[in-house]
Amino acid sequence: MPGIDECLLEAMKLPGARGAAVVDWTSGLALGTAGESQSGDHEATAAETAELARIAAEYQSFAPADGSDWSDDDTPVEDLIVSSRDSYHVLQFVRTTFDSSVFLYLWLGRTEGNLALARIRLREMARQLVLG
Amino acid sequence: MLHRLAAEKATGSLMRERGTLYLSDGQVIHAESPDTPGLDVLLTAGGALSPEQWGEALTEAGPQQLVGRFLVDRGHFPEGALELCHLGALYDAAFFVLGRGGGPARFRYGVAHWMGAVRPVPVDAVQRETSRRREMLNEIWPEDDTDTQPLVQTGLGLDTGLPRRQRAVAELVDGVRTAADISRALGRPAFHTLVDVRRLAAAGIVTAARRPPRAANAPTRLPETSAAPDVSLLRRIKNALEAL
Repeated sequence: MPGIDECLLEAMKLPGARGAAVVDWTSGLALGTAGESQSGDHEATAAETAELARIAAEYQSFAPADGSDWSDDDTPVEDLIVSSRDSYHVLQFVRTTFDSSVFLYLWLGRTEGNLALARIRLREMARQLVLG
Repeated sequence: MLHRLAAEKATGSLMRERGTLYLSDGQVIHAESPDTPGLDVLLTAGGALSPEQWGEALTEAGPQQLVGRFLVDRGHFPEGALELCHLGALYDAAFFVLGRGGGPARFRYGVAHWMGAVRPVPVDAVQRETSRRREMLNEIWPEDDTDTQPLVQTGLGLDTGLPRRQRAVAELVDGVRTAADISRALGRPAFHTLVDVRRLAAAGIVTAARRPPRAANAPTRLPETSAAPDVSLLRRIKNALEAL
């Protein structure tokens, strides 16, 4: 059964992966990191991505029509994608059986990265991380 | 003191007024504070683990300090989930243990914790995170009386646009419960509740029920001259203007 480090190593195997992290979006804490971060500081990147995740998770504009209930099997917001000139940043929310606010973060180089594959794999990893 | 203990790769427990940090080989492996829900509350509140399963793990593996390992090996918990929950609880309690005014620290060599090491964290990371969290709270709302005092709703009403997690906190504000009580009731890390309570305070929805009494003979303190703007004052003025 994978722990945080195995999950991050798995994410780093994706084509174009430059950095990955498991982050708590309420506090901005990096619970685990791998590879590099765009700012050169994983902790700063975690705090910044957490702010983005919090807005997506909390603002009503992004909630599905059936409401933003986080106790369902699926999180109301699944993932976030930021595309920049040279990168993709993918944030995948993680649903846990205890109260938490966690997401997986992956930084991909835009030329080598495969966004569709990354989204599918991150979703699987988010499940494996908490369900084994 | 923590840096010295880290440098000498010490194992033992560091006790302060607001809780205890447990070190193994100079790294933090666990933390506990009366201000934060314990791992038992976090894991059982949402039904992730039954109280019986928790009790069994404590009895079977507690004496060998391997409760964490036991939960994973018995299939109660995947390793990843346990790491997420345990790390959250560790940083949560450490924030209170290492908080300002926590009094003198006492270190007892050789003391181990029944949980065992799940994912050890360097002392530096814990200290950095603790001060970052303190700054984060101050940026949301600069007054800290809502962190510890019983909380009361101001009567402004719970805005329908309130995020779900904040609403859950606001609904438990009854004039008696403190942020720590609400965290325990929700089975949620205490710092998460502090963040939501400060947001609710900034929005004028929740306030501390009892203002800390001011000492009658406290000397009047003149504000120090500073080039930086007084954020606290500016926010209070902004809120007062918006409330008009």
